[in-house]
Amino acid sequence: MPMDEVALDHGHDSHDHKPGFFARWFFSTNHKDIGTLYLIFSLIAGVVGYSLSGLIRWELAEPGIGPMLWIQTTFFGLDGDAAVTAAKHFYNVVITYHGLVMIFFMVMPALIGGFGNWFVPLMIGAPDMAFPRMNNISFWLTVAAFILAILSMTVPGGSAGNGFGGGWTLYPPLSGSTGHPGPSMDLLILSLHTAGIASILGAINFIVTILNMRAPGMTLHKMPLFAWGMLITAVLLLLALPVLAGALTMLLTDRNFGSQFFVPAGGGDPVMFQHLFWFFGHPEVYIMILPAFGIISHIVSTFSKKPIFGYLGMAYAMVSIGVIGFVVWAHHMYTVGMNVDLKAYFVAATMVIAVPTGIKIFSWIATMWGGSIDFKLPMLWAIGFIFLFTVGGVTGVVLANAGVDHALHDTYYVVAHFHYVLSLGAVFGLFAGWYYWFEKMFGIKYNSFLGGLHFWLMFIGSNVLFFPQHFLGLQGMPRRYIDYADGFSTWHYWSSIGYAITLAATLVFFISLAVAFIQRRKATESGNPWGEGATTLEWTLPSPPPFHQYNELPVVNTKGGH
Amino acid sequence: MRRIGVESVRHILAALSAAILAGPAFAAEPLDGAINMQPAATRIAERVHDFHNVLLVIITAITVLVAGLLAWIIIRYNKKANKVSRKFSHNTTIEVVWTVVPALILVGIAGLSFPNLYYQNVTPNLGQIVATSKQLLADGKSAEHQAFTKNYFPDAAEAGFVNVKIQGNQWNWTYTYADIVDESGLPVEFVSNGLHKGRASDPTDGLRLLSTDYPMVVPADRYIRFYTAAADVIHSWAVPAFSIKVDAIPGRLNEGWFLVKEPGVYYGQCSELCGVDHAYMPIEVRVVPQAQFDAWAELMKAGDFDAAAASVRQIASADAGAKFASN
Amino acid sequence: MAGDVKHDYHLVNPSPWPLLGSLAVTVLAIGSVTYMKGLFGLAEGTWWLMAIGFAMVLWVMFGWWATVIKEGRIGDHTPVVEIGLRYGMILFIASEVMFFVAWFWSFFEFSIFWDARVGHTWDSANALFADGLNRFAQWPPADVTTFDPFHLPLMNTLVLLLSGTTVTWAHHALAHGDMKSAKLGLILTILLGLGFTALQVLEYSHAGFSFDGTLYGSAFFMATGFHGAHVVIGTIFLIVCLIRMYAGNLTPQKHLGFEFAAWYWHFVDVVWLFLFAFVYVAPHLVHGGGH
Repeated sequence: MPMDEVALDHGHDSHDHKPGFFARWFFSTNHKDIGTLYLIFSLIAGVVGYSLSGLIRWELAEPGIGPMLWIQTTFFGLDGDAAVTAAKHFYNVVITYHGLVMIFFMVMPALIGGFGNWFVPLMIGAPDMAFPRMNNISFWLTVAAFILAILSMTVPGGSAGNGFGGGWTLYPPLSGSTGHPGPSMDLLILSLHTAGIASILGAINFIVTILNMRAPGMTLHKMPLFAWGMLITAVLLLLALPVLAGALTMLLTDRNFGSQFFVPAGGGDPVMFQHLFWFFGHPEVYIMILPAFGIISHIVSTFSKKPIFGYLGMAYAMVSIGVIGFVVWAHHMYTVGMNVDLKAYFVAATMVIAVPTGIKIFSWIATMWGGSIDFKLPMLWAIGFIFLFTVGGVTGVVLANAGVDHALHDTYYVVAHFHYVLSLGAVFGLFAGWYYWFEKMFGIKYNSFLGGLHFWLMFIGSNVLFFPQHFLGLQGMPRRYIDYADGFSTWHYWSSIGYAITLAATLVFFISLAVAFIQRRKATESGNPWGEGATTLEWTLPSPPPFHQYNELPVVNTKGGH
Repeated sequence: MRRIGVESVRHILAALSAAILAGPAFAAEPLDGAINMQPAATRIAERVHDFHNVLLVIITAITVLVAGLLAWIIIRYNKKANKVSRKFSHNTTIEVVWTVVPALILVGIAGLSFPNLYYQNVTPNLGQIVATSKQLLADGKSAEHQAFTKNYFPDAAEAGFVNVKIQGNQWNWTYTYADIVDESGLPVEFVSNGLHKGRASDPTDGLRLLSTDYPMVVPADRYIRFYTAAADVIHSWAVPAFSIKVDAIPGRLNEGWFLVKEPGVYYGQCSELCGVDHAYMPIEVRVVPQAQFDAWAELMKAGDFDAAAASVRQIASADAGAKFASN
Repeated sequence: MAGDVKHDYHLVNPSPWPLLGSLAVTVLAIGSVTYMKGLFGLAEGTWWLMAIGFAMVLWVMFGWWATVIKEGRIGDHTPVVEIGLRYGMILFIASEVMFFVAWFWSFFEFSIFWDARVGHTWDSANALFADGLNRFAQWPPADVTTFDPFHLPLMNTLVLLLSGTTVTWAHHALAHGDMKSAKLGLILTILLGLGFTALQVLEYSHAGFSFDGTLYGSAFFMATGFHGAHVVIGTIFLIVCLIRMYAGNLTPQKHLGFEFAAWYWHFVDVVWLFLFAFVYVAPHLVHGGGH
């Protein structure tokens, strides 16, 4: 069988002998190539998710149903009330897939699949991931999941049209046979199952790599913080995703095989789904932010030319965030009618998370304190991250209080909060890492001017986009509304202006990418463009690193690595 | 109680309308360009606002502190201002401080948070309120009594609860007044639809996306106990001015309470994604004086929904104008 | 390994299996939805696409693991790689445990907090849910006759516990090079596994409730059914090990595959003990036998 020949060909590759194009990119077992594939994939998915958010902001720029109706009449030939109904459903579909695509197919593949694959082995001095072939199926299953998700947008959802329009949280009965009887939701469930399997396999791979393949001398307490962040993220994925898989399976059998888990008439309980979902969903938000925490730590240390302040505190702050992240899930469910004592518990537990998060913020500041700071592009993104994540974090403290959350739950205040920690937190962390490692990954330099322009447009745009949403939420503007009372007009308008600015930022980003690849300015000869502050192992390698690095394992004997 | 005919109700209404305030309608609705919460209409909301104001100060202070530190670092520790970086990486004292101080702040927040939560989340025991009030008066503790009255309204407690069941449907609300039954023993029950559906046929009057055909009507200065339910998918009954949001979940009854001192119109919107017309099932609560409420209830019992709705279009009040006139 | 490589990690060559596996999963997913709902003009109940997808998945699994076995035999699995594989298997089982947490969580929620749901918070005035109040005002629900845990389920517990000892026997025999006992122990384990599955099928056929239409049935069959599926997978795993043993593939020094099969089998065993204790015995003790 030819495939076995490929698989078993012990051709004794010399360390930079690369396989042919097809085998290299489609049959890859190389962590850097797979990381690159993940990054390309998340760029594509990011464009999809970002376009969907563009539809949202376009629609909400003015009161009334506008663009969504225009889409229905222009592209689907509908008119009258039928077009209005289709437009409303379409809007719900758009917000649903915006959330799912951004979480499962943009942020996670980029931070975990992309940077995790690229830099966990490089930073800990490993030649590759522990299970290089399994690494590849994690990637291709993510692609499969994305295809299934996009496919589910195009097949019948409910009576009102194609696609599932019940929000990324998939609450039954709206996601059950009552709300969306069509095949769309079933495809979406299987898509998330597939993405979940991909992530679990990836998580196993990262944990084993980190536990088993650190360079000689690199104890866990000398391990770079990005690897720490990835280790904790992987543990959270491993323990949280199977519970989501269980909930999704119950939903699937409820829809197709007559089980009654979430069917009230059969004694089932829709709230049970919410518990299972958020038991996954809350760790999920830390899954998205912990790798970014790690990236920011390295950047801050590199450009301040100082070691990370309170390294152990930083590492164990992430550990405690991960642990506490598992026992706070029901703060997403304060309005479902939980027992008041239970709410009080979740209030207390949730606020505890502010302590380790505060430790991280202050430690980053202390790392910079006394430094000789070079404000290169990655550092701008990192400082932007620290400030914006603080804003998102403190509104989280407000929302943690169930009493206040009763007023703000499911309003734009919540939308603003989680976009500050994700869209401005995780995504700023992502871009920080992108520019920090750009030269290392691709062997060419980015264009500093365009990168700076990208940062400033993005910083201004996303603040204009999301800050007014706090005001909307306080005034009572509910989430997931295609249209709003006239009293919400002004801030919605500004929010859409903010989107337009981020759109300019995104265009600049793609232009800067094109320019970098056309100019092909050679990377710094030494492999370390950042100088004395960049102390982690990846900077000891050439840019780009050889196809297989560390054929002779590096030995860590100083307090290097962070 | 003497049975009042529909005609006599109309007479009462005519008399009441004479007492109606001139000037703009007072209502709690979203205000364009506003940056804070809608004016509080319940004690629950007042307490939430007070608490939120404290939180707002704390979180603004933290954000300003972080921003200030970052600004200082940018000015003082850029590579031109500070050529050589220092190499310290530990300072146990400061680490203890930034662990303990935030923890203490959080303990303080929790101290405010829990009473607030329990106040709004536990339906009051009216009999106990009346008893406590009497006891405080009897003991001559007037200051305590005043504070107690502010939160627990002993006079309203004596009048008991007005019970309303609120059921979310795709896509409107059904209100059932369990205590108000007609001659055949059936409770007053009606469906409240939004006037606007985003269609070309939408009426041009009413507040877009907020006004309903048959609003929920409750008496002012009375304890309202409500139960939310749902027929199909999850909905959420929410009125921002009351600081109330309770999910309506199929198969379950969720309980809540509120008491509005000031008559007025208060708007809310469904707050849990429930399908196509999620944005088009508004909540309109008309809080009216007891007499007007009784008149409305009589009309409802008689089955004349339109007359009943018309009877609360103008809200009778002696002193309610001041608070909401600015709207 | 390659001449200038001075470490013992396993750098795997490019492989088609991940891409094919992903393709197989896509076909299986689309095929399943076609079977359940009908898709792309294919009627509901169309099974062949799902069957193709499933066959592809099996093909990929076979091809992939065959490759792994070959790699192991030509010496790619150095001691440090073996440690990694062990960690990997432990983590996989940990994620499986969390998968079962979902079933136990829902079973506990439904069985322990049934009165919280159908007490004063039950929407009994609504005709849609009124019936539920009567049926679910007790647990197990009124129309459900549960199993007596001390008949078939107890027997199944003994069967599975016994299989746990036989697989350990086989393991020790293998480690000491006593291949005859190892084979016997493994054959006995497989027979006991098959026996458990047969008894479970027998039990299911006598169930006084069904998966569809009753909450109890849903929760019961989902938890025990997924366990049953894991027993079947574990049995297949053991059968593969038996074949490899006869092929002289497993040696006292190198038998990771067997070790993993044994771990997996113990995991399945422990899950059953929890099922037996909390799904069969505890409700029986609390609520008495069937109604």
